Amino acid sequence: MYRQVLKAQWLAARLPVVLLAVLAFALPLLTVTSGSGLTNAPVERVGQWLFAAQQVGVLIPGLALLAGLLLGIGAWVPDHAGKHVYALTLPVPRSMFVLLRFAAGATLLAIPVVALGVGAVVATLSVSLPDGVHAYPLQLTARFAMASLVCFAIFFAISIATKRAALATLGVICGVLLADAVLASLSIKDAASVTASVFYLLTNWPGPLSILMGRWALFDV
Amino acid sequence: MSYAIETFDLAYRAGKHFEIRDLGLKVREGSIYGFLGPNGSGKTTTIRLLLGMLKPVRGTITVLGRKVPDEMARILAHTGYVPERPHLYPYLSLEQAVRYHAAFYEGFDMAYAGEMRRSFGLPLDQKLSHLSKGEMGKLHILLVLAQRPNLLVLDEPTDGLDPVVRRDVLSALLDFCSQGSATVFISSHLVHELERICDWVGVLDNGKLVVELPMQSFKNGIKRIRVSGAPSLVGDTPFVLLQRETTGTEQVWVVRGWQPPMAVWFQGVGAAVKEVMDLDLEEGFVELLRSSRAPVS
Repeated sequence: MYRQVLKAQWLAARLPVVLLAVLAFALPLLTVTSGSGLTNAPVERVGQWLFAAQQVGVLIPGLALLAGLLLGIGAWVPDHAGKHVYALTLPVPRSMFVLLRFAAGATLLAIPVVALGVGAVVATLSVSLPDGVHAYPLQLTARFAMASLVCFAIFFAISIATKRAALATLGVICGVLLADAVLASLSIKDAASVTASVFYLLTNWPGPLSILMGRWALFDV
Repeated sequence: MSYAIETFDLAYRAGKHFEIRDLGLKVREGSIYGFLGPNGSGKTTTIRLLLGMLKPVRGTITVLGRKVPDEMARILAHTGYVPERPHLYPYLSLEQAVRYHAAFYEGFDMAYAGEMRRSFGLPLDQKLSHLSKGEMGKLHILLVLAQRPNLLVLDEPTDGLDPVVRRDVLSALLDFCSQGSATVFISSHLVHELERICDWVGVLDNGKLVVELPMQSFKNGIKRIRVSGAPSLVGDTPFVLLQRETTGTEQVWVVRGWQPPMAVWFQGVGAAVKEVMDLDLEEGFVELLRSSRAPVS
């Protein structure tokens, strides 16, 4: 059952998955494009290179977000198109079908994760690092895997939700923005921005998006 | 008597203008039950209620002896469903679609599916999005029959198909029924199609079950009768008076449940039966709907 669901999901999403895998493989390699002759280079040049490499690293959580978005939403597109009639008439409990879809999507997520891992290892092997600089290919891959999974879970949940739930979510977002607008119009000094507070809550531990924040460096001191 | 489908006091409401009211269906095990009704009468909604896709506001549903929706997965394991519109994933090839479907049904008969595919002339490697409407209809029938279900629920399975495909689909269905004791619940607004294959019929109009009776009674029991000297007020009758029209000195009555000895009743009220005419199934169906919308006083 799982194999067939995985196969169907792969057939539906293979193009974005391949695209994500190519990007995931290429990103770590981008960080080493200017990394030749670093072994005896002056500290300033190493610092500049590390800074440039870390700038590229910013794209990796973005890729995790994109992977989660494409696979999370994509997991339900074929069922949405048929108004879920097929899924609802299959002889499995609904929770089981959701689990099958989630497991299949998470499995597909492994393809860009592995691609990033391979890219990171290739990138690491292609440069001679100066003393004091270290490569973290496994840690970066593991973090990318976790970030992709979190994003996938979020978009999967949003995608499976009913129209009512989607409207409720949209209502909450509008409410937050409205609260901000009201506070701004009242010109209350020292009033914290609601949007900023919500963003802070989401992106700082234990917020679900905290994994996307911070430094995403393949190379660091 | 055991029933494959039984509903009691079933009610469902969708928006302000549509509702299913007090629906009491009884589909006998092993029967081929035609669920007739005009477009928009609630046939598809009823089927979705039976299969647990919608939640009723009132009433109970039992399918294959199990409660809906509590035991839905078990019910669906023995139920083949062909929806009104194709719902299979269009990016799969025919072979992939069959394998996907088979993975969910323990008793899926792959050999039978292959046999039917060949007899239907369906291309194995064709993407579903490239199949014609007729081929898609055949594929749906193939999938549900290969499940070897105890209950088949078919929602307008031949709607929009050309006569050749329609005949192929109905033949496959009849072949399957002759091999076992499956119950078939088939909805349609094509009266003649059901006349050929069904042994029971239920007529739904505007969300309400108008009548449920054996096909033979439906076919033979609805008559148009030319009556002279008919009384202006009709009391209790041994038949159901569906329609009454005055033409000159005579009246034309449309009745249900007619049997020849009932002519005596007319003599008792001072009237005389001039002629009893058979109605074909479609005419009978139309008269039933007319009478349910504007009952005769």
